[in-house]
Amino acid sequence: MSNVIAQIEQQIAKLSTKAVKKNTGSIRSVADGVARLDGLSDVMYNEMIAFPGGAIGIALNLEEDEVGCVVLGDISQLKEGDEVQTTGKLLSVPVGRGLLGRVVDALGRPVDGKGPIDAKESYPVEKIAPGIMVRKSVNQPLFTGIMAIDSMIPIGRGQRELIIGDRGTGKTTICIDTIINQARINKVGLASGNKDFRPVYSIYVAVGQKQSNVVRTIAALEAAGALEYTVIVSATAADNPANQYLAPFSGASIGEWFMENGMDALIVYDDLSKHAVAYRQISLILKRPSGREAYPGDVFYLHSRLLERAARLDGKGSLTALPVIETQAGDVSAYIPTNVISITDGQIFLETDLFNQGIRPAVSVGLSVSRVGSSAQIKVTKQVGGKLKGELAQFRELAAFAQFGSDLDAKTKAQLDRGARIVELFKQPQLNPLAIEMQAAVLWALQKNYFDSIDTKQVVAAANSLKDYLTTRKADLLNSIRNEAKLTDAIEAGLKAAADEWKSTFAAKK
Amino acid sequence: MRADKKTKLLAKQLFKLSLVNGAVSPEQVTGVLGYIEKHAPRQSLALLQLYHRAIATELAKASAVVEHAGPVSDAALQSIAAAMTKKYSRPVTASAKANPKLLAGLRVRVGSDVYESTVAGQLATLSL
Repeated sequence: MSNVIAQIEQQIAKLSTKAVKKNTGSIRSVADGVARLDGLSDVMYNEMIAFPGGAIGIALNLEEDEVGCVVLGDISQLKEGDEVQTTGKLLSVPVGRGLLGRVVDALGRPVDGKGPIDAKESYPVEKIAPGIMVRKSVNQPLFTGIMAIDSMIPIGRGQRELIIGDRGTGKTTICIDTIINQARINKVGLASGNKDFRPVYSIYVAVGQKQSNVVRTIAALEAAGALEYTVIVSATAADNPANQYLAPFSGASIGEWFMENGMDALIVYDDLSKHAVAYRQISLILKRPSGREAYPGDVFYLHSRLLERAARLDGKGSLTALPVIETQAGDVSAYIPTNVISITDGQIFLETDLFNQGIRPAVSVGLSVSRVGSSAQIKVTKQVGGKLKGELAQFRELAAFAQFGSDLDAKTKAQLDRGARIVELFKQPQLNPLAIEMQAAVLWALQKNYFDSIDTKQVVAAANSLKDYLTTRKADLLNSIRNEAKLTDAIEAGLKAAADEWKSTFAAKK
Repeated sequence: MRADKKTKLLAKQLFKLSLVNGAVSPEQVTGVLGYIEKHAPRQSLALLQLYHRAIATELAKASAVVEHAGPVSDAALQSIAAAMTKKYSRPVTASAKANPKLLAGLRVRVGSDVYESTVAGQLATLSL
């Protein structure tokens, strides 16, 4: 019997050897956030590498006799010959509702001083985008709260709409306004108790921006009460290029959690020009062959694999992406802008000239387009704003001709007057998104010529007066527009009565 | 000095010449060194450094360095050598190296693989 026991004990002894296998290597050189490593014979592409002192890296170049690795974190303590080891893990970030209202770095670590993040799950930073079969076409609207965009360049949930323009033309403002609008819609929707209401959570990824700008953005979101529905991923200009390169992918993973758990999310990549620059820096240090404008050959794949992760999934949620690109002197034909234009489902082009003329948001209607969003537009917007884009295009064409002479026929003059009023009506202050029902009411009034008798310079004041009137006196009408989402006879009659009453009071005030 | 492409290629060829039946041959290595000394190819220093690294990496694959804190018997070394020979399908020799920092247990290094069963390693894991 004792033999049997001894046999079992031997078997246990064999199994309980706790030798842990590690694959190790050593640092050959460290420079500019990139380490070259010897050894690591089992390393996998994109695998996390553990460095001494707790720093981690990602294996990006697997070469014949060395490994190129970007180091995330402090490299000042690393030296030649230090031992490194593989971890067998892909880089992951914490995901979940616990991140809402928080500011995190590219690795999902909190940087806002509000304590640890309560996240039970983590998602890999690099993930293959959803395939064809699991996707659904984009047909639900995502309102930006900006009248010029919602009426003419509508965005749908799951769409990728590029925001492009020179520096200081209001690109970030459009993104912030959109996030604030989502928060306002969420508050109204959740308070209404409607079970079919789908809130939109926002992720703002700041890449290579000044820290003061990020602080300003956070303050704006907080002041508007939008931070509680927003996650901010920050990789500022002070962060090393590896963090800047990873931040959009981390943000996408955080957004994917909402999408895969049946919720809708909006992600803003601000901006991908700086992201491309950070990637170029890493690639050049890794000695990858450079191509046009010294960008590496896979810079298109870098952005396409990122933006393809935005989708609307069948039976699940959606992830809408608003990438931002900064152009130089309005040159949309540069390398990175053309790449991202071709990847996205449309672009909102902001012009410096319009901005300087005081037309803000400075959306260039001619160059802006939304390829899939029109199927996501609600009926009321189509009814009141269907012809706007054509009218504005005609206005721009006629305005150019009108500069040559003053003898204009009545029809041309009417078109010019109407165009000028539309331009005025689309002016909107920043951080002040408009609810879709209010947009519909104002555009209805424009369509029914209520602004025609008002002097062009007075149109903004008149529109504000109409908005105040509707908010204070006709809240029920606005609610019914929001709930019905189309112009019924009753709503139209209500709008007519309201507009007539407003017109008489506005005229009397004048 | 950074080695150019031709030097890298030559180092690779010399390394291949140094192998007999998949193992580094001391005679071949002596021959290769003699060739370099005689012909003095361009970038000799870089060439020798590359050649040195390749040979060192190959030799490390064929030897199991057993770091230990307590005594290790020859039988244990032999059984480690046999196990590694079987695992890597190539002759692996074991050599002992005392390392009191491990506190207790063994750490076996074969090439870039490390098999660790030490108290120091477990404490390091706990501290994470």
